[in-house]
Formats: sequence, structure tokens, C-alpha cells
Amino acid sequence: MALTTSAALADGLRAIVGAAHLREGGAPVDGVVPRWSAEPETIEQAALLVALAHDARLTVVPRGAGTALELGHPPARVDLVLETRRLGAVLEYQPEDLTVTVQAGCTAGALSAQLAARRQILPLDPPGWAGRSLGGIAATHASGPLRQRYGTMRDLLLGVRFAQADGVLTWGGAKVVKSVSGYDVPKLMVGALGTLGVLLELTLRLHPAPDHESTWLASFRTPAQVQECVAALLDSTVQPNRIELLNARVLTACGLPASATALAVSIGTIEPAVRAQEGLVKALVQRARGTVETMGASFWRTYDRALAGFEGVTLRIGTVPARLADTLASVQAVLPDTAMAGCAGLGALHALVGHAEAPALQAALDRLRERVDDVGGSVIVERAPRAVRERLDPWGPVPEPALAAMRAIKTEFDPRGVLNAGRFVGGL
Amino acid sequence: MALSASVVAGLQRLLGPAGVVLTPEGRLTYESDMLTLYKAAPDAVVLPMTTNEVQAIVRLCREARVPIVPRGSGTGLIGGATAPHGGVMVSMTRMTQILEVDFPNRCATVQPGLINLWLTNAVRDRGWFFAPDPSSQMVSSIGGNVATNAGGPHCLKYGITTNHVLGLEIVTGTGDVVRVGGKASERAGYDLTGVLVGNEGTFGLVTAITVRLLHLPEAVKTALASFASVVEASEAVSAIIAAGIIPAALEMLDDAMIGAVNAAVGKVYPDGAGAVLLIELDGPRAEVEAQAERVAAICRERQALMVTVARDEAERALLWKGRKEAAGAVGRITAAYLLQDAVVPRSRLPQIMREMVAISKRHNLLFANVFHAGDGNLHPLICYDDRKPGELERAQQANEELLHACIALGGTVSGEHGIGMDKAKNLPLQYAEADLNFMYRLRRVFDPDGLMNPAKLLPSHPACGEGFRPSRPTLPAGTWV
Repeated sequence: MALTTSAALADGLRAIVGAAHLREGGAPVDGVVPRWSAEPETIEQAALLVALAHDARLTVVPRGAGTALELGHPPARVDLVLETRRLGAVLEYQPEDLTVTVQAGCTAGALSAQLAARRQILPLDPPGWAGRSLGGIAATHASGPLRQRYGTMRDLLLGVRFAQADGVLTWGGAKVVKSVSGYDVPKLMVGALGTLGVLLELTLRLHPAPDHESTWLASFRTPAQVQECVAALLDSTVQPNRIELLNARVLTACGLPASATALAVSIGTIEPAVRAQEGLVKALVQRARGTVETMGASFWRTYDRALAGFEGVTLRIGTVPARLADTLASVQAVLPDTAMAGCAGLGALHALVGHAEAPALQAALDRLRERVDDVGGSVIVERAPRAVRERLDPWGPVPEPALAAMRAIKTEFDPRGVLNAGRFVGGL
Repeated sequence: MALSASVVAGLQRLLGPAGVVLTPEGRLTYESDMLTLYKAAPDAVVLPMTTNEVQAIVRLCREARVPIVPRGSGTGLIGGATAPHGGVMVSMTRMTQILEVDFPNRCATVQPGLINLWLTNAVRDRGWFFAPDPSSQMVSSIGGNVATNAGGPHCLKYGITTNHVLGLEIVTGTGDVVRVGGKASERAGYDLTGVLVGNEGTFGLVTAITVRLLHLPEAVKTALASFASVVEASEAVSAIIAAGIIPAALEMLDDAMIGAVNAAVGKVYPDGAGAVLLIELDGPRAEVEAQAERVAAICRERQALMVTVARDEAERALLWKGRKEAAGAVGRITAAYLLQDAVVPRSRLPQIMREMVAISKRHNLLFANVFHAGDGNLHPLICYDDRKPGELERAQQANEELLHACIALGGTVSGEHGIGMDKAKNLPLQYAEADLNFMYRLRRVFDPDGLMNPAKLLPSHPACGEGFRPSRPTLPAGTWV
């Protein structure tokens, strides 16, 4: 006998997580109130929830800290929100091996506090990082200034445990820093928005915390000078851990005097090596006709708060360092007064647009996407009101042969469309 | 399985007579990679020069249901570029161009047959290099490095091949040309570039690769420390990492290997030491100098017999010469050897080295070690005499025991060589049925006909077969739907 009534389903979900941890409704996801929200306490419970949802043809939306739920196409239907709030444990911290295994709901801030005692870091710092869940950072491939030196989640995720769309618990990767045993399944999960599996455990590579760190703010009159300075830094022996771009609006948000555009450059290593590189950084800035000022240790906290504080439409722009000036100019041309920031050394920028109506944003996206097309870049709507995203493609076009491969992967692993259905590229 | 006349004619039409090798003696050259335990010549070898030719080859083979095996320089160590099911081997040795170097964006695009070191040679004058440096880098191809996700001594600091690949062009098993990734920092969709690196040709044939270039460091310092035993040297390795220092390379050689190297290339390492560590630091000069002092102090605290720091490039080259020629030097002490590539968490090095001594004694076989100690990636050469009956089998048994011990300590089956034919059977040690099944299904997405490098990477295990479904979690009673 098939128990498909709402009451029977609720009983089933309740039997898995307990009455205290299943709610009718719950916090809306992208404006949609879910039928149920469940808070599993173990990964086995999480897998059972997914299995039940799969059999009952429910749609599942995994939710970590809930800070990035406006990424992607708006969900058509949300049956079950799987909250990872109670899956926040640090399971295995091996400081001697520079590795850690955490549950996906663990926040970057909570982990950071534990690592600090051993002078180690997980160098992932997207805006508002401390409150974000590591599972969420992985699923959305969110990154911050430190990617200049350390890369992104893609470079730091060694192993991953996830529930497939039918609830089968699956592991990919390894728990050691070097492994080529089988396909690189962790890479498939990073940035996949939970559409191939609900991320439940992550094994991560850690780094030693630098002994000493200094930050300089270099101010320039034109974007061309900024680009020139970035090129000079990259083509030098300086090893910065951040080369972050801030335009006038972001400088103002940080409480700093607004020059046209600035670069915040930091170097983290032992103190004599920081001092030795300081001279070269300053010389390169001055050669690009910029002015330099040394910032205090709190600068990066201020910067993080400023970026996290922007509201409204946010774009993630993937370009190359040699297109910085062009990208800044293009954005200002189509979206005047946009705040711009991001990793200049890699061309990974955020455009903090604020308010925009769908037609104007669509036109701007078309123009910007055209500008980055030949370098394989992208312009992704990271956040925008649902009403805006409903009327445009937040991901942008993916060329057909690659999209066909992505579609084939999604069809293989989630043929029923259980996991975040319709929210990913090409409506996957 | 011989090829049909129409397939042969089709290949010749595509590539001309010079592009197809059909003679038995010609095909014999292609029967194995450097792991010669696995030998099987293909029915034909083809030598394409363009992506279009590669695509036409795949389409032709797919239509005739002929297996396809890719091959770079044939320097793999896993039985990867060998044709156990016959078929067509696609050699990339005529696709060796550097298609573009883009210094402002720190990347280059190359064809798969390009030799690893040639890329660095082409950009070094301008101050750049390509970081992955497998010991074979003078002869191995970048396409092969991508296929196996190759490592190398300097991976400790710089990461393995996948961390340096930005984009790929691949002809998949469906015969489609797919371009993924690229120069830009972000791209929407699944990270297909990341998934394709390390596929060992089982998803398709890579025809172009965009890689990241890194700026040469300001300074490099290389130190050598000798110890009474591998256990003490291993403890020094752990202490260096625990001190927050990630050297560019941190290599260990044991007494057997020191003896072989000294006999082969002259006395580069101190005689009588149980182990030496070769430690290389690179980066800004002030950082490198301070870290070199700290590393030397740590080694002395850990009872190093002797610590020396190379004073100039000539001394540095000499210290590395021994390491780089180790695999050749081992010919001095043994006729044949098996090479293990498992990894343990680096804090477990002292433990696994003790275990290795026990295994070596149990089987009465010489183990010579030269390996990437900094990331726990072991490379014991298990020496045997192939003329003595039963000795190969003993070596294989010892090899398996060591691999099991590594996995029991939380390690992995392969750190940098890959799986190929050699280690496919070992994957179930590390992965459950559901995990293997996931990988099998991923493979089928790219190669629905099972023609791309068959019998490699995945084991013949029920979970890697059609129709297998891993067991699902059991729902609580009363919640069936």
C-alpha cells in the first residue's frame, strides 16, 4: 500500500529525525515556504530523509547557514528543506597532517576557532565567511581574497561524503593530502549546488597560519593603472596572499577615503620576509603611479563586513587579470554606480549592483557576458530578488557540448530531479 | 581481435600511411608502458596531428566497436598505455605544439604530446615555470600528466597536476569534442575540468590543455640531512611540517638507495647513514633563508648525523642528481623491482616505515626507498630477481601487504602514479561498493560503449557492472511509499 498522503509522509519524516526536528513549513527558500523542514542529527538520518524524499517524489533543498539561497534559478517547488544545522561537528582534526574532517553544517568561523589554537588555517574567506557553512561554501564554490595564494574549495577539498539522490551514502576522494585513486569525485561536487548529492562530510587540506602579516592599500587614479600594478605584482617574485581590488564605493563602505580604485595587497610569512617584500610592493605601486598606505590588522575584517553588508543584486564575474580595466569600465557603462571588489590577481570579481530591474539587468548581463566570452569567462548572478531572477538566466549560457555532458551527469545521478531541481545551469 | 579491413582502410585514409603502424615489430614498441608486467600490443597504432583527426579516429572506432587506448610518452608506471583488449592505440607524439603562451594571464595552452619540461624551457627565460614535475618530466608528456594527474617532488608546496590545469579540450567516448574550463577564473556549471583530470583515458582523449604558469621564486635553498634510520628521518619530517613550514620538496632516501646512488653517480650522499632527507625551500629570499635555518635546527634536534646546505647552484644540482637518478641507480642492486605508490597520513610515516622493515624481513626481500616524505607518498622499490622462481610472487605478496598497511593507517592506494591495470583490484580496499558504483556510472556518462581504455582504473567488481545498485538505507518501518 502506498502511503502518499501528506500525513503519512510527515509521519515517515518524523520517524527519521524525531518529532522535535521536523517542522511543517519552515523558513522560506527563495520566497517559497517548504512543506517540511527537517534537521537531521546524523548523516544516516540525512541519507534516510533523501531516500524517503526520492521514493515519495519530493524535492529536496539542502540548507546550511542560508546565506546563499538566492544563487541559481528560483526553485519551482520546495518539498523538504534538509537543514545541516545539527551536522556541525569537527570529526577528525589531525594538526600534524594539516587535515580536518568536518560535517557539512560546521561553519567556517567555528572551524577557524579550533584551528587557531594550533596556528593553522582553512584559507576560505568569501564575504561573511565566519557564519557560512563549509558545505554551503563547497556547494556554491564561494571564494574570497585568500584564493590569490591558496586557491578555492576546489583546491582544498580532499574527500567528501554525500547522499546521492536516492539516499545512498557515498564517499569520494581521500583523507590524505595527495591521492589519485580513482576519479576526482570531490571536484564534481564543488560548485554543483547540491544537485548531484547532499554534501554531509568534508575532508579539507589546511595550511599553517602565517607568522606575521602586513597589508598595504594602494590607490590609483585609473583602472588602467590598477591593471598595470597587478601585472607588475604577478610578474615579480613577491608572494602576496591577497591582491584585492576595491573601487570607490567599496572603499567608502570600508570607511576609507574614496580614491578612484585601490588594491589591498597583503603578505603573510615570517616577519623579516614580510619586511623584505614590503619595499618591492611599494616600488611596484609607485611605478604604476599609485600611492601606498599601510593598513592595520583589522582591515580584512572591515573589508569582509563591508562586502557582506551590501544588499540587493550581486554578480560574480570570472575574467582574467589582463581584462581588469576593461571589466571595470564595462560594468560602469552598463550598471553605473556599481560597487566592485574581488581577487584582482586572478580576475575573480564581485559586482555589488544593489537595485536593478530585470530588463536592465538582462541587457547588462548580455553585454558583460559578451565581453568575457573569448577568455572562457562568466557572469553569474550570485544574488538577486526572485522576481528578477525569474526573468533571466542567472548562470549565463554554457556551450552545448559541455552542457550536454553536464546534463548527462545530472540525468545519471538524479533522474527524478530530487536535488535542487531546476536551479542549476541549463535548468538542471 | 584483429581489426577489420575496413577499419584499417579508414584509419589509413584519415592519417595517411605514415600515421598508422600495423607491422608486428612496429606495434611491439607499444605493448607496455614502463610497468612491463602488463604487456599487450594494440592491433594498430595511430599518430594523429589534430583534434579533428582524433575525433575522426574515435568516431570510426566507435562505429566498429573497437577499443581505444591513449598513449603519451609511455612513461607511466601503472599499466595504463597497454592494450589488453587490442584495438587502436592513439599515440600523441605528433601533437607537441605549444599553441599559446599568455604571460599577462599566467597560462599556456599546449597539445597533449608536449614534453613536460619543454614547456618550462619555453617560458623560463621570461621568469615562469610549469609546476608539476614528475621525475619523468624530461620525457613524459603533459597529456600523460593530465591523464594520470601526475605529481612530483615539488607537489608538496605546489600541488599536483589538477591544481595547474585551467581548461581542456577532450574527444569523449561519445565522439564529441568538448571544451571545458579556460583561462578565466570562474565558469558556470559542473567542474568538468576537475573531473576529467586523472581519468586515465577512460573518458576520452585530451587534445589540448590550458595550464597555469607560476613565477619563478626569488630564491631556492636545498639542504641535506642524514639520520641513523628512516624512523628518525620520518620524525624529522613530521616536526618540520608541525613547525608550519611547507618546503617546496621534502624527499627521503634510505640506506639501500643511498648505496645505489653513490655507486652509480659518485659519492653524493654520506655513506653509513640510514636515511637522508633532501629538503628544498623556495620563495622570497628572506623567507627561504630563515626557514632553512629553522629546518636545519629541527633536523639537529631530531638527532641528524649531519646537516648541510648547498652553497650554490652546482652543489644544489649535485644533491638533486642523486635523487633524480635514483630509479636508474637501483639497477646496481637489483635486476628487477616493483614500485609502490601508496600514501599514508604524514604523521604515520614513522609507523609505516617500521612496518615496512618488518614486511621486508618477513619476505626476505630488499626494499630500497626514495620517496616524497613530505606528503607521506611512499615509493619503496621492492627488489627481486626475476630469474629465481617464486621471487616475483613473493615481491607481489610483500607489495600487497604494504599497501594494506597503508590503507589501514588511513592512506590511499595511489599518490601520483594512478591506477591503470595494476591497482584497479586495490580500489575496493579504499572504496565501498556505492563509491565504486558512482565512479563506474560517471565513466559510463563519458564512455557509454565501454571502449575507452578498457580494463583500466576500475576493478572488475560487481559494483562496476551494468545494473548494479548499491544497497539503500532502510527506511523506518511504516514509512514505505
